[in-house]
Amino acid sequence: MSSFAPALPPKPVADLDTQPFWDAVAERRLVVPRCTACGAWIWQPRPLCPRCHEPGPAWVSVTGDARVASWTALHPPVLAVWADQVPFVILLVELDDAPGVRMLGQLVNEAGALLMTNGAAEGLEIGSAVVLRWRVDEAGQTLPAWTLI
Amino acid sequence: MRRDKPRQPVVAGIHALPYSKDIGMTERHSGALAILGALADAGLTVDDVDGICRYVWQPTTEMEMARVLGVPNLRWFGAQDYGGGAGPPTMALACAAIELGLADCVVVWRSRNRSSGGRPWAGQMLAEGQDQFERPFGIVRPADGIALLVRVWMNAWGWTREDFGRVAITVREHANRNPAAMMHHKSLTMEDYLASRMIAEPLCLFDNCLETDGALAVVLVAAERAANLDLTAGPAYVTGYALGSGPQVYAMTNYYADDLTRSPNSFVAPELWRNTGLKPGDIDVVQIYDAFTPQVPLFFQEFGFCGDGEGAAYIASDECLTYNTSGGGLSEAYVHGFNLIVEGVRQVRGVSTAQVSGVKHCLVTGGNVVPTGAIVLSKEPW
Repeated sequence: MSSFAPALPPKPVADLDTQPFWDAVAERRLVVPRCTACGAWIWQPRPLCPRCHEPGPAWVSVTGDARVASWTALHPPVLAVWADQVPFVILLVELDDAPGVRMLGQLVNEAGALLMTNGAAEGLEIGSAVVLRWRVDEAGQTLPAWTLI
Repeated sequence: MRRDKPRQPVVAGIHALPYSKDIGMTERHSGALAILGALADAGLTVDDVDGICRYVWQPTTEMEMARVLGVPNLRWFGAQDYGGGAGPPTMALACAAIELGLADCVVVWRSRNRSSGGRPWAGQMLAEGQDQFERPFGIVRPADGIALLVRVWMNAWGWTREDFGRVAITVREHANRNPAAMMHHKSLTMEDYLASRMIAEPLCLFDNCLETDGALAVVLVAAERAANLDLTAGPAYVTGYALGSGPQVYAMTNYYADDLTRSPNSFVAPELWRNTGLKPGDIDVVQIYDAFTPQVPLFFQEFGFCGDGEGAAYIASDECLTYNTSGGGLSEAYVHGFNLIVEGVRQVRGVSTAQVSGVKHCLVTGGNVVPTGAIVLSKEPW
């Protein structure tokens, strides 16, 4: 296992359809694509609205306020980069400002540092309210993350 | 469905190499041996093969396999994608070719060095496409992906870890009867299950399938061809099959559609019952895709063996249909569900190590958190 285990976390590779998301993340803004014709919120990003096929969705800033739709906590064996940080929680959150949009992020503290927990001590539940924070990962990549309120 | 009796697909031959942690040969090698074994089981040779269908997720293309085997000409070839969802769809594609008269003898195989070859996700550093929104946050292993959905199901229907432990123990008991199963000699109790270490909460070690080197193959022929073969083990007729994706589907990380409690199988099921003309009560035994234990109760409710949300209560009841009689992916071998297809044929032939008496119809499914399908293997023709 160790010979396969990279020392850095998986690196997001943007493409033409997703670059605006990562550009905004670098500026610590969370943006979600929204159809300019029918108003549908779209996630994951794509070039056309899947409802009305209008091209070029707008990238709309959202607060990141959200509710927990689900979560998991990782235990070994994990990638080497995370071996000393587990258990940590990965949240699936539903954004308050973009109904129906669910995205992933890690559970962090107020300062954006990864919490070593399975969520039990924090009282994490489906439906828990969370707010957006920013985490800089082991490779220097900024990532959206959430903390409980 | 139009039914042309001479063109009904028939499983004429099956073969599985011994499962192991290190098979000691390439996947093209083990796959070729599996196909040759299945052809021999059917009383056929490579010269009879005019079609090949493969899982996309393997390094050997259908052309490479044809070269290895020396197939004179392929009139038809194809492949199906999506990992654990691919088993019945790969069979279905081959069946469709036979029904259309595009081929008379199609081999379908799956060979995978999943144990000795390492964990496919572990070396991956670049997260492209859908992965860019998942892997950087830690959703890397298959168990991580499904764990989030499992928690939703537990929350929606009150499912417990004991419910999942029941699945793990049931299939382990089948494996204990099957000398070919990797876990043949290992018992499992609820105490063992509950004490096992967590992998991706709420999933523990025994909620996860095995890591196996394995190779299996099936030979499908048209019924009119099968009639001229001496199938001593008996034919297994394909009564029907169906595929399904549902809306906005993502393989494993199916987090973005409206309803997280519905899997692609909920779209496969009505299609399968329509295509086969059967209903749940007609099925005698099932081979359910079980890379993870919670997929089993979800299967039963989505295929209508019980009501919505009743899957866990159903598997704990006396009414529960016998499932995964070889030990399945959890305790026989994990070869992306192809062992479930081969075991389905054995049940129809009457030679399973956990044989259900009087099997007329065996249902085999693909993974229910990916684009997937299901197939019904039967004792009698249309």
